[in-house]
Amino acid sequence: MSDEKINGSCLCGEVSYVITGNIGIFQYCHCSRCRKFTGSAHAANLFVTPEQFAWIKGSEWVGVYVPEHTRHFATAFCKQCGSALPWKSKSGKVVVIPAGTLDQHPGIEPMQNIFWGSRAPWYKSAADLPAHERLPVSGS
Amino acid sequence: MSDKKIKGSCLCGEVAYAAGSLRIFQSCHCSRCRKNSGSAYAANLYGDPKEFTWTKGSEQVGVYVHEHAKHFSTAFCKKCGSALPWKSKNGKVMVIPAGTLDEHPGIEPLQNLYWGSRAPWYKSAADLPKHEGLPVKEK
Repeated sequence: MSDEKINGSCLCGEVSYVITGNIGIFQYCHCSRCRKFTGSAHAANLFVTPEQFAWIKGSEWVGVYVPEHTRHFATAFCKQCGSALPWKSKSGKVVVIPAGTLDQHPGIEPMQNIFWGSRAPWYKSAADLPAHERLPVSGS
Repeated sequence: MSDKKIKGSCLCGEVAYAAGSLRIFQSCHCSRCRKNSGSAYAANLYGDPKEFTWTKGSEQVGVYVHEHAKHFSTAFCKKCGSALPWKSKNGKVMVIPAGTLDEHPGIEPLQNLYWGSRAPWYKSAADLPKHEGLPVKEK
C-alpha cells in the first residue's frame, strides 16, 4: 500500500502532482511561517522524499519562495490561483505536501501538532466550536 | 474596539494591510478553502471592504476569481504565495485569512462551516499530541 499513487492539485487545476508513498509524517504545524503562508490556524503537512514526488502538470505555474533566514522552510504556490503547493526543504531531503491539496486520502492521518507554543493568540480548537454541515442560517 | 484597524501582512513582508469592522471569525472546511490554504480548513474573518486598505505592496497581490463560484475568490502574494484578503464576488465582504494577522483581532473563531465537506483525513488538533516546538527525533 505504501507505493500507492496519491494525486494532488491546486484550486484552479493548472498544477497537479503525484506522490508515491510517504515517510510516515503527517502533522499540523502552528509556527508563524506556516500560519502566514496558509492564512489558516496551522498548516497540515505530509512529508515525502523527493523520489516519492513528481509534478504531473503545470510545473511552469509553480512559484517558489525561499526565505533567506530559514533552515528548512520554503514555500510553493500556484501562480494563477495562489493555492499552496508542495515545496522542497532547503536541505533537499524532503518534499512537504500541503495536505489540503490532496485529491485522495493519503493512507495516513495527522499524528501530532508541532510548534504548539507558537500557535495563534486567537487559536481555538475546531472541536470546541459548533459545526455546520454547510453554510449556517444567517444570524441577523 | 470595533473601530480599531487590525494589521496583517504576508510571510515575506512585501504586502501589508489594515482591516476594520471585523465581525465574523470562522473555520471553513470546504474543498476550495482546503485547496487554497493547503491546510485542513481556512480560518477567516469577515470585514467591511470600505474599511480595508492595502498599506504596502498592493501591486504584489495576485487575485484569482473562480469562474463557477458564487462568492469565492482568492488573493495571494505573488512573491511568497501567502494567502491574502480577498473581496467576495458581490463586493460586500472582505475575507481576511486570520493566519496573516499581525495582532489579535479582538474576536475569536466561533464556528465551523462546511463541516460536511471536511477532509477525509481530518483529525481535531485537540486529539493529537502537542509539541511546543519541534519534537525530539526518535532515533
